[in-house]
Amino acid sequence: MDRSDIIARFAEVAQDPLAYAAAWKARTGKQVIGSFPMNFPGELAHAADTLPMILQESDEAITVGHGVLFPFYCGYTRSMVDQAASGKFDVLDAIMFGDHCVQLLGAADAIRMKLTDTRVIFFQLISSMCDPWTQGRSEESFGKLRDELEDFIGAKVSDAALHASIRLFNKNRALIRKLYEMRKAGTAAIRAVEMQHVVKSSMIMDKAEHTDLLQELVASYTDAPAADRNVRLHLSGHFCQAPKPELLNMIESCGVTVVGDDLYHGFRYISTDVPETGDPVAGLARWYMDRNTGVPCPTRVQNNVDWEAYLLDAMREEKADGMIVLMAKFCEPHMYYYPEVKEAFEGAGVPHLLIETEHEGMAMEGLKTRVETFVEIVKRREAA
Amino acid sequence: MNIATNPMPGKKANKLSATRIAGKLVNDYWEMVWRAKEEGKLICWYEGSAINPFLEAADICWVHGEAYSAMLAARHQEVKAQQVAEERGYMRELCSYARTHLGCAVSNQRLRGDDTGAVPDDDDLTWKLPAPDMIISAYAYCSTGQQWDEMTSRVFGKKVPIFNVSLPWIWGSKPDAGYLKGQEWEETSDYVTRQLNDMVKFIEEQTGKPYPWDRLYEMMADIKRASELRLEAMELCTAQPAPASFFDWVVSIAPINNLPVAGVKNYFETVLDEVKARVAAGEGCVPDEKYRLFFDGIMNWNKVGWLANKFANYDAAVIAGRYTHMAFWQEPGLINPNDPVRGMAQNYLICPNNHASPILIKLIMDLCRKFEVDGMVIHASRTCRAFTNPQFMIAETAQRELGIPSSMFEGDVTDESFYKDEVLNSRVEAMLEAIESRRMSVVA
Ligand code: SF4
Ligand code: SF4
Repeated sequence: MDRSDIIARFAEVAQDPLAYAAAWKARTGKQVIGSFPMNFPGELAHAADTLPMILQESDEAITVGHGVLFPFYCGYTRSMVDQAASGKFDVLDAIMFGDHCVQLLGAADAIRMKLTDTRVIFFQLISSMCDPWTQGRSEESFGKLRDELEDFIGAKVSDAALHASIRLFNKNRALIRKLYEMRKAGTAAIRAVEMQHVVKSSMIMDKAEHTDLLQELVASYTDAPAADRNVRLHLSGHFCQAPKPELLNMIESCGVTVVGDDLYHGFRYISTDVPETGDPVAGLARWYMDRNTGVPCPTRVQNNVDWEAYLLDAMREEKADGMIVLMAKFCEPHMYYYPEVKEAFEGAGVPHLLIETEHEGMAMEGLKTRVETFVEIVKRREAA
Repeated sequence: MNIATNPMPGKKANKLSATRIAGKLVNDYWEMVWRAKEEGKLICWYEGSAINPFLEAADICWVHGEAYSAMLAARHQEVKAQQVAEERGYMRELCSYARTHLGCAVSNQRLRGDDTGAVPDDDDLTWKLPAPDMIISAYAYCSTGQQWDEMTSRVFGKKVPIFNVSLPWIWGSKPDAGYLKGQEWEETSDYVTRQLNDMVKFIEEQTGKPYPWDRLYEMMADIKRASELRLEAMELCTAQPAPASFFDWVVSIAPINNLPVAGVKNYFETVLDEVKARVAAGEGCVPDEKYRLFFDGIMNWNKVGWLANKFANYDAAVIAGRYTHMAFWQEPGLINPNDPVRGMAQNYLICPNNHASPILIKLIMDLCRKFEVDGMVIHASRTCRAFTNPQFMIAETAQRELGIPSSMFEGDVTDESFYKDEVLNSRVEAMLEAIESRRMSVVA
């Protein structure tokens, strides 16, 4: 396949994840396990010979979900209950999750009540990341998840299988990180929306299939693009749900090149590998902790790690001139941390623009004006 | 009767007079907090779980974040703190308890910090909250609790030591799961007990003294007794008319939850005596009890008296609630005063939200049956999703299992701007009419 075909395939899966899952299930006769973001170790479910997929916000308007969660919840959780209540999750054999953002708990609770035939497994991950017992507790949680999975599939998940899955997932992550490197270095022109297709489809597709396509994709960037005069920006935030493609396209249409991000549907997802040797469950716990030092997440608390410092460092490395913060409306973890980012950026004199996004869509024209103004500010600052 | 067009004006709630004592105890407590620095006491900020006996025993001044925000709201002084928070970038959709309290933290830092030159005003309660020497975070269910503490620590430049206790949610999916039972419950209780013991070591590090366990044992004996008295008094509200209301129990939260232990037993003795006397005299918490209601949701702290009178005016006795009747040392039987830590851990795990819906909703339905309620008022608190999470399911179950209607209204814990009086009026009136027509159909 050529580059555009590969990206089109990724885009197709990203746009309709449940259709991919249904087709995969029909093809393989195996089980599909949905999970909620952002710290589910897909490796475990993969080693159990199932398809792990991270459940995605749908573009569809919320209908029946209105009678389940209030409108003042983030789009991700509202979309989850809406999809569940309208029968969209029938393809799933189980749902598993370990994160405990309060809104997600509300959604999960309601989904369990709605999907009486679907097993919903919860293993609460410790979210306090620098306690002496964080590693041990994380191992216990992942160990419990493994037990539950084994109980669910009715078979043991061997260490060897788990190691093999870990290697495959690491390879997949490494390839995507390679794309990030090339974009940053300017040797590959990868648009923000294309990067999203790559990462989002990786959350959904069979890992081996995705990895094969990724290898081809990485190899396809042989032609260094011509240098442009765009403003280089970092995109930050947006946790559980992917920013809408039209928003990313609009931003880039304002003379912007996105050179880095810490979006969940972006670098956050693939930032960190799992150790390939040793006890695999301990390895997953290590991965869980390393992810938060790698790309700090406001849904965790870790007093010795600063997201704002990470962002400023990342931007220096990316030679980014400014940052756009994408905040999903009502996302509490993000709202709590944002003042720290704001203060640090203002202190460092690095410009940023906050955009709140909504499930129901946004008035793109008004936003475009704000982005254009921001780009002008960044340019003027560069010129000064 | 057409409730919508013919409300009886002017009826007032018949509040328990004992609750006036609560007001005094609360004022004394805050005076003590405001003096604590001068008295050379260490100050610990915490939210959520009532870890205050651990602190009080060690002679540490404890400041409960929600209590401070609720106090500001009850005194209508919350807006300033909320503005300060907003100026720093805390958005309006964040938990208003947290926002208000963070506003106090920011204000405190600005005015006590050495780089501002601003002069604090002593009547300004936003500023007056003394800065912490330590923070302990122990919040059940709601992720916001932990984040709020973490951000507080950051407002203070991460210079204040912080200790995190993780309280897992009781998901209850195993066949043996249930309220206070099953493997998950036992394991979780053990896990939290271990952390509380480590928390005591943290306290010892801060005070530089061995932990005075005997004092904790004494205090927990008192709290256990106070809790029993409180529950006994609540139980008596099965009487018709109900002698005390949900709003009386709301006012009685501070005594059981965060006031100095010494006065608490007495307080609930007084409450119980008054409740008994009312039952004997057939005196109700509203002048004419025609309807008995359950209140689901957290309190609207700027509206306690207002709501109490409003429902009294509708001849509706709001008798029980998730907030008041499913939390705050709710299971005294679990506390062994000579070895209290595990029982304390378990009481923390029974915050009114920390059991997943199947268990939680069953508890609520049991309360509705016990107090023979006719309907349910649901306060959809805009910024407290911990409480709003299961509310549609609660309403549905109440209708399905008990045949009782409910009415939802939007408000908030401490941000008055989310409260919509007209919506509340029209929905409550519609619900009362539904109750009336149900009664008529039963009679017919
Ligand atoms: S972290 Fe934010 S986006 Fe994710 S579920 Fe919670 S509120 Fe929603
Ligand atoms: S949102 Fe509700 S439960 Fe959570 S911290 Fe705020 S008041 Fe507490």
